Amino acid sequence: MINLRDRIIAGERAAIAKAITLVESSREEDINHSHELISALIKSPGHAIRVGFSGPPGVGKSTFIESFGSHIVNKNFKLGVLAIDPSSNFTGGSILGDKTRMSEISKNENTFIRSTPSRGSLGGIAVGTREAAIILDAAGYDYIFIETVGVGQSEITAANLVDIFTLIVGPGSGDELQGIKKGITEYADIFIVNKNDGDLASQASRTASDYKSALSFYNKDNNELETQVVLVSSIENKGMDEVLNSFNKIVEFNKSNNRFESRRENQLAYWLEEEVRNKILLQLSKENGIPGLIENEVQRIISGETGFYSASKTIIDTFLGKK
Amino acid sequence: MKKDKSKRLSDWEKKFSKEVKIETSKQFFHETDEGININPLYTKEDLLGYTFNDIQTLPGEWPYTRGPKASMYTNRPWTVRQYAGFSTAEESNKFYRKNLEAGQMGLSVAFDLPTHRGYDSDDELVMGDVGKAGVAIDSVEDMKILFDGIPLDKMSVSMTMNGAVLPVLAAFIVAGEEQGLDRKVLSGTIQNDILKEFMVRNTYIYPPEPSMRLVADIIEYTAKEMPKFNSISISGYHMQEAGANNVQELAFTLADGMEYVRAALSKGLAVDDFAPRLSFFFAIGTDFFMEIAKLRAARTLWAKIMQDFGATNEKSLTLRTHCQTSGVSLTEKDPYNNIVRTSYEALSAVLGGTQSLHTNSFDEAIALPTEFSSRIARNTQLILQNETGVTNTVDPLAGSYFVEKLTEDICSAAWKIIEEVEEFGGMTKAVAAGMPKLSIEESATKKQAKIDSGKQVVVGVNKYKNPKEPKIDVLVIDNEKVREDQIKKITTLKIERDSKILEGHLSRITEAAKNNSGNLLALSIEAMRARGTVGEVSKALEDAFGRHYATNVGVSGVYGKFFEKDEKFMEIQNKIDTFEKENGRRPRVLIVKMGQDGHDRGAKIVATSFADLGFDIDMGPLFQSPKDVAKDAIENDVHAIGVSTLAAGHRTLVPELMKSLNAIDKNNKIIVFVGGVVPEQDYQFLYDNNVSAIFGPGTSILVSAEEVIKLISKKH
Ligand code: B12
Ligand SMILES: Nc1nc2c(ncn2[C@@H]2O[C@H](COP(=O)(O)OP(=O)(O)OP(=O)(O)O)[C@@H](O)[C@H]2O)c(=O)[nH]1
Ligand SMILES: [Mg+2]
Repeated sequence: MINLRDRIIAGERAAIAKAITLVESSREEDINHSHELISALIKSPGHAIRVGFSGPPGVGKSTFIESFGSHIVNKNFKLGVLAIDPSSNFTGGSILGDKTRMSEISKNENTFIRSTPSRGSLGGIAVGTREAAIILDAAGYDYIFIETVGVGQSEITAANLVDIFTLIVGPGSGDELQGIKKGITEYADIFIVNKNDGDLASQASRTASDYKSALSFYNKDNNELETQVVLVSSIENKGMDEVLNSFNKIVEFNKSNNRFESRRENQLAYWLEEEVRNKILLQLSKENGIPGLIENEVQRIISGETGFYSASKTIIDTFLGKK
Repeated sequence: MKKDKSKRLSDWEKKFSKEVKIETSKQFFHETDEGININPLYTKEDLLGYTFNDIQTLPGEWPYTRGPKASMYTNRPWTVRQYAGFSTAEESNKFYRKNLEAGQMGLSVAFDLPTHRGYDSDDELVMGDVGKAGVAIDSVEDMKILFDGIPLDKMSVSMTMNGAVLPVLAAFIVAGEEQGLDRKVLSGTIQNDILKEFMVRNTYIYPPEPSMRLVADIIEYTAKEMPKFNSISISGYHMQEAGANNVQELAFTLADGMEYVRAALSKGLAVDDFAPRLSFFFAIGTDFFMEIAKLRAARTLWAKIMQDFGATNEKSLTLRTHCQTSGVSLTEKDPYNNIVRTSYEALSAVLGGTQSLHTNSFDEAIALPTEFSSRIARNTQLILQNETGVTNTVDPLAGSYFVEKLTEDICSAAWKIIEEVEEFGGMTKAVAAGMPKLSIEESATKKQAKIDSGKQVVVGVNKYKNPKEPKIDVLVIDNEKVREDQIKKITTLKIERDSKILEGHLSRITEAAKNNSGNLLALSIEAMRARGTVGEVSKALEDAFGRHYATNVGVSGVYGKFFEKDEKFMEIQNKIDTFEKENGRRPRVLIVKMGQDGHDRGAKIVATSFADLGFDIDMGPLFQSPKDVAKDAIENDVHAIGVSTLAAGHRTLVPELMKSLNAIDKNNKIIVFVGGVVPEQDYQFLYDNNVSAIFGPGTSILVSAEEVIKLISKKH
């Protein structure tokens, strides 16, 4: 593991790749190894800015990353991309298609592009995405982009992974404006309106101003940065400088008033709680006698021997060893 | 004894039911790939109630169902036009001249992939592809050699060129000029059909919109300057070869035609000024009667379409077409069977009334044809023309209850799709949205499933296999030698020309492209005459238009659906599940196309089917370099790379890939296997380069999948 850690820190491509496989693996021994590795890597963090991209399927997330990624790489930054691909198939296999839209940045020496099948995990990210970001950070990447599955409602998990959370939207029907509820603006730092080109251009700019005015209603309190809205075309590479400026603005602002760090701390709390919750659930399903007990209690509820809430209490108490 | 009609029919029905042991013949039909039901019997009643097909009409008469001309082959048989080209202009020229002496009647030039994609032979990017799958043409000098001793005022020349259409057509015109000929006398056809490149053929260069402008500029220029030259060959051929069924092929082709008519009209031309020079190109597969009916339906519908565009000149209303027998119907296994298949297909094309024909060689699924295999292919047509009597009667199948009904059925099925496309806003929009491509890929995947499951028999492949495969000679091209020769010629050219003058022409091209002004073919002629290269003119256009990158993902679940509850299929699924349990993730395979090879049918089918079986599949984009593939493979930590190679680049590209993989990680455990058109002579070479398995044409997906999971499991 130490060897792998050093190779990652040295930026060795194959080592990074193997490490990501490790953190994504469902094999018990891999999971143990990955914990060791991540604990070791966290001790030597890099300086990466992590950016999440969410938005409905087909809105142009991958294409945007190709275009904006090129922009960034041309400025000599090192870019890591974690693309969570939605295309899981009914039999469990998948075709990972995001990368076919990232052919230019894929070629570049200063990028690392990894696709992961979502496998139906919640929140638009995959098992191991958080850890993969830690690996790329330790390996010295300047930016880490995470393309989530465009799931709509469950952005919270993805937002808790990143320093900048971006929502990409298309030249809209206006229906999407319904989506700008108070909740989402709390997570999104920036809205990117894509496809500002050809026949769609006028609709795109209308959508952007709609978003701006809608957002002004929900604006955050005075000492918060207002949510940015940027108009781009990923296929014509328009608006990329504006996006970069907005990113810089967000980072600077957040760093200047300690929000940047406190956000990461809050995220740590979020993930710790997640981890504990998941482990407990896992333990619950494996603990000797518990699955049988649950079945038993269900029968007892049905037959009227016990009630729903007392059954629940019995199970929890047994699990916690109080009985 | 005389019986009345209905009594006779019911008697037949009874006999039929008894013979085949079913209730009624109505239950007994065959459903074609197109979803058309073929009945066991057609009668006079089947001639009634048509919307499109008017069975009363005659050849050379509206709507030309029976043929564009009154006399058809009785006056002049179809043109024997064999598509060929390989290596250098010198080699191809020699080959053409021999063929013409042996009875071929027209030329058809196959360019190599670098030329198609607008790269000169000295470009690093195309190292493995020069001269491999066609002839390398870099400049007017090459073009002159290609037609040396062939008088371009007498010989009609067809050129399959779409991406780099401007410099290549320009070079042809200048070559004619330097043979002392006015461009007015040049006859032939330029394919110039870019829409189907985005759909299936993949030798596009620029994005769709500027590409459509090139098409229109060429139609405009030739309409004014080259009265004997077909400005476009609207092609369905490649669609069928990519997997489209006949109705899809017909509908998308005619819809493409409509789009080109609109593009030309937008240049301010009147429809009858250019429409007589629009020509077509269809594939003729193994479904004998369907293909005949397709050609009859094509003429019928085009007449209607052109009438709606306001055409009045008869030449605008008639669809004239070239046909080629289907390459994809030909097999690597037991290859002499292909001579038989091609013969039936050729007969089908002729009964359908084609104007010219290419017949494939029996070594189609192995390599470019040899002199021997080309001779048999050519003679297949010559025998048909001279010995069988098929040329004595015009449209001999007219009045056949079956063929007439099928003609009508195809018309109405195709018309439905055409209307869908129109609702989309025309083919350019439909293509940009990926609609036709996806539906063709779906058909292709179904076809593979039908063959792999044995529902469709392919003799020598999934039934009646030959236990003793014959050894056959293959054409070998020394690609390094070709490249060296071409580089020498380019170097001399660049020394001898006046670069200042050329630069002026090139910058005028870029300007005109940017400003949407001028005619780009006229400007390209100037540049090529000043000894510009195909690569330079293409680059001048690229500076204005950019390059196009395709981003299509493909179908899912189509293959798997055919194998629900299939034992073999489930067995492989189980193996994959076991692998996942033991390894903590699914077997992951990167499927790639390297170099300029744009044959993506096989790669896509394998990708979607493997995913249905439970693999995680990374799909690389087209035109990757070995270096890009290696980076992609390592970063995604795939277990295996499947290289799909059909255009003979593997001898250069596969060793390069191995080198690149080792350069990134010399301890990598990635398994590399190869699929596609690989002559047996190359197997050992590939194995020596650490290739673990080779899957040739006709390999069942279940067989390759099982082998791949076995190889991966062994290593992990
Ligand atoms: C269909 C076809 C086309 C279509 C392609 C459509 C498309 N989008 O794919 C069209 C008509 C457009 C076309 C054009 C050309 N073609 Co072509 N084409 C063929 C043809 C007839 C069949 C190929 C095919 O799709 N078969 C069906 C699929 C399912 O089979 P497959 O790809 O072989 O895949 C199977 C196996 O090989 C294996 N496999 C393949 N890949 C992989 C990958 C993995 C991971 C695995 C496990 C297995 C596997 O499993 C698959 C399932 O069984 C072949 C000849 C032949 N019969 O093979 C010529 C052929 C490949 N073409 C040829 C040529 C020259 C061309 C052109 C370059 C001609 C020219 N000069 O203009 C053009 C250019 C195309 C381009 N952009 O590259 C030559 C190549 C010569 C050579 N190798 O020496 C061939 C061999 C014909 C010939 N003998 O002349 N072509
Ligand atoms: N006109 C236009 N089309 C775009 C633009 N960006 C993306 N597209 C097109 O939108 C489609 C979807 O693009 P993707 O990048 O795959 O979208 P995505 O959000 O990553 O999609 P999923 O990963 O499937 O959710 C493709 O056809 C793109 O070519 C743009 O800026 N303008
Ligand atoms: Mg995407």
